[in-house]
Amino acid sequence: MAEPAIPAQPGKSLIAAKNLSKSFGAIDVLKNVSVSIDEGEVVCVVGPSGSGKTTLLRCFALLEQPTGGAVIMRGKTIAASGASTEVRQAAKRVRSDIGMVFQHFNLWPHFTVLQNIIEAPRRVKGIGRAEAEADAVKLLEKVGLADKRNEYPSRLSGGQQQRVAIARALAMRPSVMLFDEATSALDPELKHEVLLVMRDLAAEGMTMLVVTHEMGFARNVGSRVIFMDQGDIVEDSSPTSFFSAPKTDRAQRFLRQLQD
Amino acid sequence: MGGYRFRWDVIPQNLDFLLAGLQQTLTISAITLCLAMLGGLLIAVLDMSRFAALRFLGLASGEIIRNTPILVQLLWIYYVLPVVMGINLDAWWALVIGLSIYSSAFIAEAYRAGIQAVPKGHREAAQVLGLSPLQSFARIVLPQAIRLTLPPLAANFVQLIKYSSLGAVISVGEITRRGMELSSSIFRPLEVFTFIAVIYFLICWPLAMGIRLWERRLSRR
Repeated sequence: MAEPAIPAQPGKSLIAAKNLSKSFGAIDVLKNVSVSIDEGEVVCVVGPSGSGKTTLLRCFALLEQPTGGAVIMRGKTIAASGASTEVRQAAKRVRSDIGMVFQHFNLWPHFTVLQNIIEAPRRVKGIGRAEAEADAVKLLEKVGLADKRNEYPSRLSGGQQQRVAIARALAMRPSVMLFDEATSALDPELKHEVLLVMRDLAAEGMTMLVVTHEMGFARNVGSRVIFMDQGDIVEDSSPTSFFSAPKTDRAQRFLRQLQD
Repeated sequence: MGGYRFRWDVIPQNLDFLLAGLQQTLTISAITLCLAMLGGLLIAVLDMSRFAALRFLGLASGEIIRNTPILVQLLWIYYVLPVVMGINLDAWWALVIGLSIYSSAFIAEAYRAGIQAVPKGHREAAQVLGLSPLQSFARIVLPQAIRLTLPPLAANFVQLIKYSSLGAVISVGEITRRGMELSSSIFRPLEVFTFIAVIYFLICWPLAMGIRLWERRLSRR
């Protein structure tokens, strides 16, 4: 895989939320959340449904406009409430530097696997077809689907579709990958193949923010666990301490419920 | 009634005259469909615009077009437009433009339904990958929407073939008009109008059946 445009600098904040709030009408989904993700970290976000995990991720992906606070990437504000022209331009510049994988894959059904992957590199970065295709095939080999390059998404299993979606995101050479419950829509036997790809990606040093219900992944692959509840970050700790000695009642209750 | 003697031989005798009219009918319908596809896109884009004034324009024009009779619209374009705006259209163009505007409003609805049927997630995936809103619309949304819009467009073509008969009122020489002219000169309205009705049916019915099959196949996917 080619190096990202800006070399990774472990231990340096890559993307952060600063006093981030998001409301939908009268419902406050995120309440003054601050968190910073360093380069090379694999941060797993866990918590009960409706706790604001996905909304936090979507703010990082610039899919939601914050109601308060800001999203900061490499020191530059890329999203804020009532975003100025300056912020919008900064957002445009980092747009394809932030990769996202959705719960429901969101592959484009009228394109083949290969077309799905080369679309953004060609249209956004202006890469030639031959080069984009060669790169796409390499990415497909990485996720174990090179033989499916000319299939349409509807001919693939959910797990295969999600692996294509990961390859599609990687084709833009992002510095951070956001995973929004990437395995939640999959049958148990298909989750595994996607989790393996995500584990390999983490091992390569990709910075990842992973909203997940897979506690095994959070424990074994994550470098940090964030526990969210009711729009707040309640705990932010290493996987070992979170899973063996959760500090708060809410986290203890959440983990107990998982065991039932 | 029992005493009437059909004289079907008047049809072959005047077949060339009538078929030239049929050719007009099909030409008018095809040109109108093309114009209405563009007009429909314009109205649909206005309907979904970010700006309230444009949205109002799109919605208002759609409502006016859908809620007045097509015949009145044609008469208005043919007789009123020259007086009010000094635009003189010959009958053929008045028919084509009138039908185009009328169909635009219905085709706009079909486009809108097609566009709204494309899941939001497809656009979000495009957005996250850095595609511009225009690229996302042109490359991701529109190609999918068009597939869903094709059957309604074909259905609209059938409508246009039938509605183009209204050209008879403003003396456009399509098949119905020619039938009127023929029957008044040879006094054989029964044969002539029966023949014309059969022609319309033989063209529209297979099209309509084809569209029904097509839609069934699309919905199965």
